Amino acid sequence: MTTVATALEFRDFGLAHDRPGGAVQLFVGASFALAQHGFYLFCGRSGGGKSSLLRVLAGLVDPREPAPIRSGELLAWGEPVTGGRRDALRLRTAAILQDEGLLDELSPRANVELALRAAGRSVRLAPGLLALAGIPEPGPSVAELSGGMRKRVAVARALASEPRLLLCDEPTAGLDETAARQIALLLRSTHDAERTRTTIVTTHDFDAFAALADGVMVLDPADRTLRLEGPGWREPPGAGLAAGPAPAGEPAVAHGVRRALLQLGAAAATCGEALRRLPPVELAVTARTVARFCVEPALFVGACGAVVGGLATFFALRNNPVQGGFESALLSGTGKVAVAVLVPLLCGFFFTARIGAGAAARLGTMQRTNQIAALQMLGIRPADYLLTPLVWGMVIGMPVATLVGVVAAAGAAWLAASGASGFTTTGWANAFFAAVTAGDLLAVLGKAALSGLLVALCSYHVGTGPKPSGAAVGAAVDEAIVRGMAIVLAVHALGTFWAYA
Amino acid sequence: MHRIRYLVGSLVLLAAVLGAVWLVRLLQNLDARPGVPLQIEFHDARGLRAGADVRFRGVTVGTVRAVTVAADGEKAVASVLLEPGGAAQACVNSVFWIVTPRFGGLAGGASGLDTLVRDAYLAFATPAQRGSPLTGGSLLTGWERPPAPAEADALAAVEHGDLLMTLLVPENHGLRPGSPVTFRGLQTGEVRGIALAQQGTHVEVQLRIARRHRHTVTDQCAFWVARPALTGALFSGFTLTDVTALLSPFVAYQGEPGKGLPVRDGHRAAALASRPVEEPTAVPAAALLQPERPAEPPAPDLVLVRIVYAAVDHDFWSPDDPIHHEGTGVLFQDRAGRIVVATARSLVDGAYSETETFGSQPDIEQEQIQVMLPAGTVLRGARVWVHAGGRDLAALVLDEVPPDLLGTPADKLGFGGGEIGPDAQVRRVGADAAPAPPVALGGRELPQLAENLGGAVVVAGMVVGVYGRATAHADAPAVVPLDLLPEDLRPR
Repeated sequence: MTTVATALEFRDFGLAHDRPGGAVQLFVGASFALAQHGFYLFCGRSGGGKSSLLRVLAGLVDPREPAPIRSGELLAWGEPVTGGRRDALRLRTAAILQDEGLLDELSPRANVELALRAAGRSVRLAPGLLALAGIPEPGPSVAELSGGMRKRVAVARALASEPRLLLCDEPTAGLDETAARQIALLLRSTHDAERTRTTIVTTHDFDAFAALADGVMVLDPADRTLRLEGPGWREPPGAGLAAGPAPAGEPAVAHGVRRALLQLGAAAATCGEALRRLPPVELAVTARTVARFCVEPALFVGACGAVVGGLATFFALRNNPVQGGFESALLSGTGKVAVAVLVPLLCGFFFTARIGAGAAARLGTMQRTNQIAALQMLGIRPADYLLTPLVWGMVIGMPVATLVGVVAAAGAAWLAASGASGFTTTGWANAFFAAVTAGDLLAVLGKAALSGLLVALCSYHVGTGPKPSGAAVGAAVDEAIVRGMAIVLAVHALGTFWAYA
Repeated sequence: MHRIRYLVGSLVLLAAVLGAVWLVRLLQNLDARPGVPLQIEFHDARGLRAGADVRFRGVTVGTVRAVTVAADGEKAVASVLLEPGGAAQACVNSVFWIVTPRFGGLAGGASGLDTLVRDAYLAFATPAQRGSPLTGGSLLTGWERPPAPAEADALAAVEHGDLLMTLLVPENHGLRPGSPVTFRGLQTGEVRGIALAQQGTHVEVQLRIARRHRHTVTDQCAFWVARPALTGALFSGFTLTDVTALLSPFVAYQGEPGKGLPVRDGHRAAALASRPVEEPTAVPAAALLQPERPAEPPAPDLVLVRIVYAAVDHDFWSPDDPIHHEGTGVLFQDRAGRIVVATARSLVDGAYSETETFGSQPDIEQEQIQVMLPAGTVLRGARVWVHAGGRDLAALVLDEVPPDLLGTPADKLGFGGGEIGPDAQVRRVGADAAPAPPVALGGRELPQLAENLGGAVVVAGMVVGVYGRATAHADAPAVVPLDLLPEDLRPR
């Protein structure tokens, strides 16, 4: 008889939430082992800590939140799990998270191919994986898929990296009985196809997984224990409520300070990440983003520039305090201030409101629906896939938008000048650009590029922050607009002061 | 929806790119536009800026493209692009100067004041004797100050009837062409030219007095060049006059009303060395009366002229009396083609109008009769006929008549006499020879003679007589019929 190899081993392992006012103990003293190629169910009351443990196992700990407090030891294939980036567990684990975390803008096949590429495998395996999961090809886009189909795509994508540990968070939630059973069977059949794989499924749906599990991990909130039961274990009715907070822990103020420091650290990490990951890895995504950010706001900023340039010129010439005097000087001043300061600033605002807010909304939704966690699970740095394109898009898009605004402003000023004061084209060009130099243009582009970079970082940081609810996504959009505009204002004020004072 | 948004965005982006290309090309090719590029050197660019206008006779005909300092640092060089229209006016002998506010001293006055509130600009003028046209790339030397506005074309054109005369002054005192000529402080004309007399003994100043003011100039007028003057004494107080002449000197004149004869074109007068001591006469009491609503001046079917008669009544026992009469006459052409003026004899003959204390014949000397035509021209009149029977009627003949002068049509002159009905009226002219409102004759009493002397008595549109005295020495008015005129003085 061969010894059954151990996949995960808990040795007096405990986990507690770090909350203001003290730690909330989830469980303590868990000591058991999960066999390799075991198919385990994991159950417990909602909010009892199942997802927290799953996230610890998957390595999905948000750096901006205080990490769960561990006690005891956790071994994966004989190696201790520390939670580091190059952890053995982290590299060999795939997870199917709640909401599946599928990238909505990609097709099912592209989702799978992305995972294959991230795992260093050939994208030609994608059709096989999709067929295995029962996805018809070519199917509809991810956004149009039914709940059951989304789960299947998620399974296919999770399998793409050939994980040794597959974590599934409520894979049958929201499905009818038949669909739930089909998913359960799919999970088991794919599990059986790989001899070294261990699968842990969080679920309350024992009917769907009847006769499929090898054991049940039970998280008991009443006595704060985590234990392994046999496959026949069933949840007793009216199990105890979640435990109250343990008296240990730091005061709320210190907790708040620590959280603030963590936030600052995370912001710094975002900046560092942006610089480290500046060379684009996802070239296609980056190129697409740049093109999108150049084209999308063009009409908006063009209209803004035209209104500002036209009105400024018209008003300057019409409300000339020296009736009809110094018109070219007036036009020169208007041209300088419009081209060098006003139009770039307003274009920056418009760009931020349009593109920065959009990016924050998209990133917030991705965070909320676990798409970013899913990317992390696939071994794709979210920075490569999301931040780098955003940075390039805005660093290029903001100056392009500003140029569009400036050109539109010049055009409108030409019309206004010839309409209000009968300037000829040459006379207008002579006067309007008399004070504008190449240095001004460089300063304008520099300010735009710098504010583009900072707005990109801000949108990314705000968008990828914790999103415990849908309202948090909306709040993130608000925050991205306010902070982005403040950044644009500051960059333009300081940049203009620095360049001209 | 997305597709449309991207399409619109792309189109806007494309338009912006095209717009940017257009702007860049426009700014690059400003020099390559049609026209003549020139370079003009100045010692001092006086704040001239790129983009300033280039003007010819006040019209913008080009643009200053750049103002730079020459490589040797000695000159400022303005690069100019003249539009084709302006280039046609620029010749090798054109004068370029920068228009900025300038104060040319007390005598020179201020110029370029419009640039106090406008950008400095470049102006040029081309003399009447044009040189060959300027070619592109020429380097010219600009003038540091504007040329004196000596060109006659800078002044208003002379109108028909304006008085052109010469004033002789001992010294110019800073008069310039365009300096005003004033009467009672009101501008009536301007200086048109200044030249030194041939022998260098004085300066000859050409004046023009506008037609409507020419009657203010008589041969008795005193002219002087107005300069600020302080007069008076310590105990009586000082008077400062003509302060406004501090910035720009002007010519002033004054004369007594009812003194002197209107002057003819080419009149020469010597200016006083300074302002005459006597002040202009006070406002006449008659001017205080509420003026009657003037009737519409009649249509100019009759040609009436202003007659001024001056003479001296030489008296043996007493000082000589100057005689001065003003009145109206009817101008027409007689059968020989001469220009004849029919008027009252008492207006143009001192021997008829004056009486001597002892009934002797008055001794009239230095008779002068000046006739001012409706157009303002002043001609000398010769008294060729008076009524032998002692009626108040005389005929003058004018010499040096302008060839286009028209007289009263023959059918408007009634030699058959006429009934003085209620519609009869006296038509006369004012001091400036313009028709004055007619006076009705139909009342119980005939109107006063004073202003109406020599006026044409009109019945039913026909001149039937002149308004004069009933007898030689009476002040009673009467209508003297035209048919007293001899046949040869009547029109054909």
